[in-house]
Amino acid sequence: MAGERESSVPPAHRDSDNGFWKTALSLGEPADRSHEGAQCGVRPLDWLIDIFGEDLGFWLGYLGNGKHLAWYASFRFTILAAIFGALIGLGFGLGGAGLLRARFRPLRIAGLAYANIVRGVPDVLFFLFFPLAFEQLVEWLISTQVCSPEAVAARAGSWPPCMEANWFLSTTEYLILASVSLGIVYGAFTANVINGAMNAVPKGQLEAARAYGFSRNQVFWRFQVRQMWIYALPGLSNVWMLLIKSTSLLSLLQIPDIVLWAERLGAPNFVPTAGLVHPDWRWRYYLVLFVFYIILTFLSERGFAWLRERVGRGVVAEG
Amino acid sequence: MAAVVEIKDVYKRFGSLEVLCGVSFAAQAGEVISLIGSSGSGKSTLLRCINMLEVPDEGSVLLDGEEIRMKTGRRGREPADEKQLRRIRSKLGMVFQSFNLWAHMTILQNVMEAPLRVEKRDVDEVRDEAIAMLEKVGIADKAHAYPAQLSGGQQQRAAIARALCINPALMLFDEPTSALDPELEGEVLRVIKDLAEEGRTMLLVTHDMDFAKEVSDRVIFLHQGMIEENGTVADVFGKARSERLQQFLAAAGHSQQGHPIPTITNSNRESGL
Repeated sequence: MAGERESSVPPAHRDSDNGFWKTALSLGEPADRSHEGAQCGVRPLDWLIDIFGEDLGFWLGYLGNGKHLAWYASFRFTILAAIFGALIGLGFGLGGAGLLRARFRPLRIAGLAYANIVRGVPDVLFFLFFPLAFEQLVEWLISTQVCSPEAVAARAGSWPPCMEANWFLSTTEYLILASVSLGIVYGAFTANVINGAMNAVPKGQLEAARAYGFSRNQVFWRFQVRQMWIYALPGLSNVWMLLIKSTSLLSLLQIPDIVLWAERLGAPNFVPTAGLVHPDWRWRYYLVLFVFYIILTFLSERGFAWLRERVGRGVVAEG
Repeated sequence: MAAVVEIKDVYKRFGSLEVLCGVSFAAQAGEVISLIGSSGSGKSTLLRCINMLEVPDEGSVLLDGEEIRMKTGRRGREPADEKQLRRIRSKLGMVFQSFNLWAHMTILQNVMEAPLRVEKRDVDEVRDEAIAMLEKVGIADKAHAYPAQLSGGQQQRAAIARALCINPALMLFDEPTSALDPELEGEVLRVIKDLAEEGRTMLLVTHDMDFAKEVSDRVIFLHQGMIEENGTVADVFGKARSERLQQFLAAAGHSQQGHPIPTITNSNRESGL
C-alpha cells in the first residue's frame, strides 16, 4: 500500500531534486541542453519556472506532451461533427417537415415514418447502424459493377473476396458518416419541431396575406416560414443540446475523439522502467470533458438567446 | 356603371351547416353598407366570400362587373384563375376583427408590404404614401414600432392604414371593433367614420347598431343565412318590418333615437398613444 502510494507520485517528484522537470520541459529538444545554465536563456519557459516554481514546470511539460497535444487537437472532430451534424440535421428537418405537411398522402406517410421510426430508435444504435450499413451497401453496389465471378473465384479463400470493391474508411470518412448519422437522427426531431412551429404561426396573419393578394409562395416564404423560426427556435435549441451531447459517441466509430483520448490518457499508466506513472486518472480527464460540454452549453444558450432576439424582434416580448 | 361589388345567389355550407342560403346584393360606388345580424347569421362569412377567403359553394361574386371565375377541383369548388383572384384581391382592403398585422414587421413595413410585393410599386413613392396613411389614422409616430408594442386601437388603426395604402376599390371591415376594449373603440370608429365621409365604398360587419346607423347609407340584416331586410338606415332602423329584425334590435339594446359616438379630441387621442 505504501509502495503504491509512493509510486503514484509523478516521477518528477520522486526524481532527484533538480532534474526531472527540466527533462519534461525540454521534450523534443536535444538532451544536452539541460546541462546549459539557466542564465544562458535558451529555454523559453525558464522565466515561468522562476515565477511559479518547479511543480508548474512539470505540469506544463506533462500537459504539453505529444499525446496531450493530440487530445487537444481531437476537439476538432467533436466540433466539426456538431456543426455539420446540425447543418445536415436542419436539412433533414426541413425536408422532413415538408414531407409531414405534404398534400400528397404517401409523402405524408413517409414523413411520419421517418420522424417516428428514427426518433424511436436509440441514437447509439442508429449511430452504429447507419455508417456500417451504408458502407456495406456501397461495397455491395460497387461489387456488382466491378467484381466478375471469375475474379472472385480466383481469390477464393482469401479475404476480402474482391479487392476492388473494398472501401477503406479513414477517420475522415467516419467523421462524414457520423455527421450524416447525427443529421438523420436529429433531423427527425427537427422535422417535428419545425412542423409544429409552422402550425403555430397565427392563421389570421396568413389569411391577411392572402386577402391582400400575395401568391401562395409569398404567403409561405414571406410570412409562414419567416415567422416559423420564432416558434421553432426554443425547440431547435433543445435539439442542438441533444446533438452536442451525442457528439461524445464519435469514438464508437473509431474516431480518435476527445472521449477516446481522455480514456487513453487517464488509464493507469505503467511503464516497466519507471513503474506506475499514474493510477486511474480517467475521472480527471472526464471532468475536463464535463467542463468542455458545460461551456459549450453555456455558449449555445447565449447564441440561441441572441438568435431569438434577432428573429423574434417585435414578436417575442422584450425584457 | 357596374356595381363595385355584386353578389349573386351565394350559398355556403360548413359540413351540414348552411351558413349562407342564396344571398344576393350589390354595392354602388361610394356606398357604405353595414351588415348586421345575430351571431351565426352568416354576415362575416358573406364578407369573406367577397375576397374568397371563404369559397362559396354556389353563386357568383362580381367586382366592377368582373366575375371571379370558379372551377370545381378535387377539393371542391375553388377560384379557377389564381392570377385573376390576386389582381382582384389587391383592390380589396380588408380589416379584420383580430387586426392580423404581420407581427414580424414594423407598422410601416406592414403598410408598405402589399403595395411593394403585390403591386410592385416604387419604394419611395410607397413610403411617402404609407406615412401619409399613418398620419391620417393618427399613428405616424408609431411607424417603426412593432404591432405587439401597440394598443389594440392603434393596431386596428394601423390595419386600416394598411388597407388604405393599396388604394382599395372596396373596403371590407369584419367586426373591426369587436376585439377592442370599449375605451379604445372610439378612436377606430372615428377613423372609419372619416373614411365613410370621404365617399369610399365600404362594407362593414358590425354589432354596433348606433355606429351602423351613423355611418351607413344602407343596412342589410341577415338572419339564418338569408337577407331579411335591405334598405336605408331610416327604413331598417325606423320602421323595421320583419319581426325578427325588431327582436334583434330590441336584444341589441338599440334605442330609436340613437346617440352619437364620442368625438375624439386631440387630448384623448394623445392619451391613447
